[in-house]
Amino acid sequence: MDLEFTDEEAELRDNVRDVLAGIAPTSLVRAIYEGTGDDTAVWEQMVQLDWPALTVPEAHGGLGYGFLAQAIVAEQLGLSLAPGAYLTTATQFAPAVREIGGDEVRERFLAAVAAGRITGTLALAEGGRWTPEAVQATATPVDGGWRLDGRKDSVLRGDTADEVVVVARGGAGLGAFVVPRGELEVHPRQVIDPTMAVADVVLDGVVVPADRVLAEPGPQVEEAVRRALDEAVVALAVATTATCRRIFDMTLEYAKEREQYGRPIGSFQALKHRLAEMYLAVERASSLGWFAALTIAEDDPRRHEAASLAKAAAGECQRLVVGDGLQLHGGIGFTWEHDLHFWLKRAKVGDVLFGNAVAHRAELARTLGLAATEEVFA
Amino acid sequence: MKLTFDDSVEAFRREFLDWLADNRPTDAEMAADPALSSAHLPAWAKAWTRRMFDAGWLVPSWPKELGGRDAGPVETLVYLEELTKAHIPRTTNPQGLGIVAPSILDYGSPEQIERYAMPILRGERAACLGMSEPGAGSDLAALSTRAVLDGDHFVVNGQKVWTSGANYAEFCFLFCRTDPSAPKHKGISVVLVDMDTPGITVRPLPEIVHPDKPDLNEVFFTDVVVPAENLVGQMNNGWAMANGSLAHERGMVWLNGVLMLEESMVKLLAEAPEALDRLPAQERAVAADQLVTSYIDSVAARCLGYRGFAKLVRGGSAPEQALMKAFSSEAGQRMAMRAAELMGDRSLDLGHDQAVAMGMGITSWMERYFGTFGGTISAGSSEIQRNIIAEKVLGLPRS
Repeated sequence: MDLEFTDEEAELRDNVRDVLAGIAPTSLVRAIYEGTGDDTAVWEQMVQLDWPALTVPEAHGGLGYGFLAQAIVAEQLGLSLAPGAYLTTATQFAPAVREIGGDEVRERFLAAVAAGRITGTLALAEGGRWTPEAVQATATPVDGGWRLDGRKDSVLRGDTADEVVVVARGGAGLGAFVVPRGELEVHPRQVIDPTMAVADVVLDGVVVPADRVLAEPGPQVEEAVRRALDEAVVALAVATTATCRRIFDMTLEYAKEREQYGRPIGSFQALKHRLAEMYLAVERASSLGWFAALTIAEDDPRRHEAASLAKAAAGECQRLVVGDGLQLHGGIGFTWEHDLHFWLKRAKVGDVLFGNAVAHRAELARTLGLAATEEVFA
Repeated sequence: MKLTFDDSVEAFRREFLDWLADNRPTDAEMAADPALSSAHLPAWAKAWTRRMFDAGWLVPSWPKELGGRDAGPVETLVYLEELTKAHIPRTTNPQGLGIVAPSILDYGSPEQIERYAMPILRGERAACLGMSEPGAGSDLAALSTRAVLDGDHFVVNGQKVWTSGANYAEFCFLFCRTDPSAPKHKGISVVLVDMDTPGITVRPLPEIVHPDKPDLNEVFFTDVVVPAENLVGQMNNGWAMANGSLAHERGMVWLNGVLMLEESMVKLLAEAPEALDRLPAQERAVAADQLVTSYIDSVAARCLGYRGFAKLVRGGSAPEQALMKAFSSEAGQRMAMRAAELMGDRSLDLGHDQAVAMGMGITSWMERYFGTFGGTISAGSSEIQRNIIAEKVLGLPRS
């Protein structure tokens, strides 16, 4: 196992970082928080640079990069807090279409993603749970398509994405459908990080025509949904850990600069040990994130377990780093004027979405055979 | 980044496994004559070291004449992994092979190499490492054992403590003060002391677990005469070797730490379902969550270690390495604690089943838990490790 970047991978990382510094500076994040800006231009510039095509297969007009490239971009998004439609379109919508959809529908929507014509997201969660088992929304066959009923929770960019993959349950199992956002009843939520807007979605008898069906309800769809979920989970885990790395870096810098009692506060052992702990938490989560990204890139059988390992570790990391990062900054970090809180809030959102650390540890308990045998309801 | 090694590395692995199958010590001979300390060489261990030396498998990265085959770092990693998976100790004198022999090879005279280093590599002699003292633990440079040059010999007086294997070792790689007037780092030298020299008293310090097999010792030196030619390297240049010794030691520790953690986790996952089945649902969920947290640690330790290793192989620096000692030893401690908690009332029993022994005679998770403090205290305690991380890696100012 080789967990260090090749020269090409390092070059991609550096390019992405440099571009994001130009198109998504922290001042834009602040403007969105303060209601004086929006992220439309970020996506437009990414489209001009062909980023949406990066990981779309070449057969559908993409550049055909693998998941490692995806994770490299996700890491830089988390570090910089770059807002916009990339995360949901590239790591949620496109994988769902690719893993679940048949040939025609794949071509239609992946080609549109690669060309930068559409943005998308994934509507899966119900009751705050991002698992196939949690899906209660129904899909019922009607003349010329399927009718969807029920509701979906916490859809990232559910209020702005052009297209929404909706996972719903039919008689034969899970099914998945691409629904134009305009046909859905969307309830935007006021969330703590406005650069990560989420919305709840009501499926009130919306009818999906046959040419927008990714997969009719059937027993094989659940596995495809899981595979798409693995990608979304790992991308968010890597991004969240990167957000934590930035919090750690800012805190370390502050501890070296801020002086009290005639010396830098970072010379006090109480702070040194806490900073060492934060550093460990970031590296622990980061190395698991890259391991998980590799299992997806190489389609290793450990990929589902690795995804939960990475997301759980990212969640555990933010728990320590957000709290200690804020505490060690003292009063200045508690002010709105200081940028720190943008990263703190992003890290919390990153933990919650797609299952927090507790949820992924529970999933690991299940895959390791430690959970109680589930009761079967006749 | 990739999950697998190159074909050439896999070919190396197969070559080693083929050799191992024909040459390994058997479980029966190891069980019949276990090593009693970290410098005890049972007959099977002497023969095993000699077979590895002759075949170039003792230290694969070294040249043939030193028991190696000029293997690269990735090959060495694979070799150590396979030995651990096969439950075969590479040596029963880890300080001798891992620290003393390489230090003598680096700094010693040709005569010292012939008399002291090579016999370690051929499985003929075992060595201990005389570093810590009652007044010099984490602050090793404060050591006060004196070696006074008197014509053609040194006269050594003082006391060492926590000396692993001194009760079995044939000689000691001894750090002592040769210039009390110099700043403390600059007055230290190393001499090789045969343990049967008159004036040496070894008092074993039984540990809080398996007291019947003491490994740690106090060693008292009273007017011990050591030939002047036993000085290793230059006079008053011992601190460079202390740093070198610790580097040798830490170079081994990260992988050992990872492999031990994984071995423990495999054992715990095998025992857990039965123990969990004794618990009511709510307690079960809490206990399972605790075990999963340790499982995350065990996979993370591997990934973190390998990530740092990949950077070193590329010739870069690997700040991750500084994290490994504290992380893997503390993760092992948490795992043993949670395992003992999971076993509930059964955790109180001292185990006696050697078939499930976890090394050094430890047979229960509760014993294991106490035993793990050897890892978080020795070779730079966890607290010292955090200081090192903060100052050397993170660049925070010294207190």
